[in-house]
Amino acid sequence: MILQRLFAFVLLAVCAALAVMAWPYQAAFSYEPVGPRAYPLLMLGLMSAALLYLLFRPTPIVHSDDEPALDHATLTKIGVCVLLLLVFAATFEPLGFILSSLLIGVPMARLYGGRWLPSVAIIGVMSIALYVLFDRVMDVPLPLGLLDVLEN
Amino acid sequence: MDTLSYLGQGFGVALSPYNLVTALAGTLIGTVVGLLPGLGPINGVALLIPIAFALGLPPESALILLAAVYLGCEYGGRISSILLNIPGEASTVMTTLDGYPMARQGLAGVALSLSAWSSFIGALIATCGMVLFAPLLAKWAIAFGPAEYFVLMVFAIVCLGGMAGDRPLKTFIAALIGLFLSSVGIDANSGVYRFTGDSVHMADGIQFVVLVLGLFSISEILLLLEKTHHGHEAVKATGRMLFNLKEAASVFVVNIRCGLLGFIMGVLPGAGATLASAVAYMTEKRIAGASGTFGKGDKRGLAAPETAIGASCCGALVPMLTLGVPGSGTTAVMIGALTLYNITPGPLLFEQQPDIVWGLIASLFVANIMLVILNIPMIRLFTRILAVPNWALVPVIAIITAIGVYAVHATTFDLFLMIGIGIFGYILRKLDFPLSPILLGFILGGLMEQNLRRALSISNGALDILWASPISLSVWVLTAFMLVLPLLRIWRKRSVQRRVLADA
Repeated sequence: MILQRLFAFVLLAVCAALAVMAWPYQAAFSYEPVGPRAYPLLMLGLMSAALLYLLFRPTPIVHSDDEPALDHATLTKIGVCVLLLLVFAATFEPLGFILSSLLIGVPMARLYGGRWLPSVAIIGVMSIALYVLFDRVMDVPLPLGLLDVLEN
Repeated sequence: MDTLSYLGQGFGVALSPYNLVTALAGTLIGTVVGLLPGLGPINGVALLIPIAFALGLPPESALILLAAVYLGCEYGGRISSILLNIPGEASTVMTTLDGYPMARQGLAGVALSLSAWSSFIGALIATCGMVLFAPLLAKWAIAFGPAEYFVLMVFAIVCLGGMAGDRPLKTFIAALIGLFLSSVGIDANSGVYRFTGDSVHMADGIQFVVLVLGLFSISEILLLLEKTHHGHEAVKATGRMLFNLKEAASVFVVNIRCGLLGFIMGVLPGAGATLASAVAYMTEKRIAGASGTFGKGDKRGLAAPETAIGASCCGALVPMLTLGVPGSGTTAVMIGALTLYNITPGPLLFEQQPDIVWGLIASLFVANIMLVILNIPMIRLFTRILAVPNWALVPVIAIITAIGVYAVHATTFDLFLMIGIGIFGYILRKLDFPLSPILLGFILGGLMEQNLRRALSISNGALDILWASPISLSVWVLTAFMLVLPLLRIWRKRSVQRRVLADA
């Protein structure tokens, strides 16, 4: 309940900030009666109204039985996982696809309960196979990064 | 008569060797994607959009591929719910109720093939319905002006909330988030940059694929972290693989009934497969009464939700093709794919590009037959895929998702944006918000704003154009009804509770 109220409150604040951001949007020249700011403001207004209601009357959250409550250990894991994804995005171009997927793939497999050796083997094979499949076979360009030297 | 000749032409397109191979590949990929935890029809279809584009598939083949993947995913979801008792996605929850007990009784193969058969009949009924009604609806929809379209989209959004049952408010908020997000980027009419934060990457708006993969794949990856300790043992599919005639006959009436029901639910925006399967199961349970063994492995209990799912999947394509208004998350993704090809779904599509429309309809027939046939030899292979552990699967899903996002614009900005959206999606999921309304809102948002502004330009700013025509007026009435429906339902539930309290 408290989390839901907090969420509604934060989103409400975001709505307000976006509305302030949208206020100066005006077309220099206009041939139409409705400018560029009416629609976003309308949506933000409706959303704020709904969020206000949620803030005062939060609805109960139904948990399915195979979904355990969040404990400290799971939250840490989620934090680590998000961090790994961010590292992946940051190293995608500089290191190249194959190296960056190895870099984050192996720790990620460990995070989900894999052992070292099989994780390294599977992620290694998959990252090279996916590179060949997408870059060479299907024409989806992927960065090579540091492995650039291997080409030609 | 016209319709039949168009349908013949459609089969000509669908049965060309190239498109047959596409459909086969699509059903196979879809089944595997549907089997894997963490991937459902929405991410499956979304991942394939940039790839289909990169492969240079012509639009009709791309659409056939996506539709085949869609059907395949629904089928794959069924395998994990019957053999593992884990619904692959929300719509197959009802399948587990009787499918898993059947598998436990040693009828796993029969349950699987019977469910494929039911889904096939459902899709067949819906496809027939589509052949009958879609051209009529398209002809009628040509009379729609911008004002009518705007009202129709309001109806679609309100319908989502009205159909969502227990959490209309959250559905409504989710849809509004999507509607708002669609306005990010350059405003096409005035050239004003909206909510871009002066970033070049945002000028084009949020890419649809980035939004879908962030919301569905990344949030799912984070959700799977909570479930790492579980080990699941699949029921071995042994013995008879195919149902016999007697079994098929015993559920035939159920098939017909639930097929019709599923089609209608599929056409209505927002209702979709989840609701259709639930309503079908409940209805059949009530009709069977004491004679049924529902929940303990009744064949009717398996056939009912599966037929409804098959029918509603195809039914959802009707509003998408005729009006350009998606009825479900997956059809919203398909509209996103069509816009990449510069095709605007809508009434004119039937006149201008009959090959695409009728080719798609015909390929639905073909893909459904393929799924029934594939089931028999492939089922052992498919069950082996279920044994892939999460630790090997999740990093690969993360990597493939990144490829899908990178393929759109080749910028790492999109990767960061996807992760941000994914975290937001995860929080929304934890707070019990449904995610697919965000997608529907995102797709409808752009159309809604354009039509509203166009309508008001026509009337020179007078708002009464929005309820001037009889069509828009009647849609408003329907909208009002849909708004009142959840309130009525809540009110009735409360009065029942009060009565129970008074009795006690």
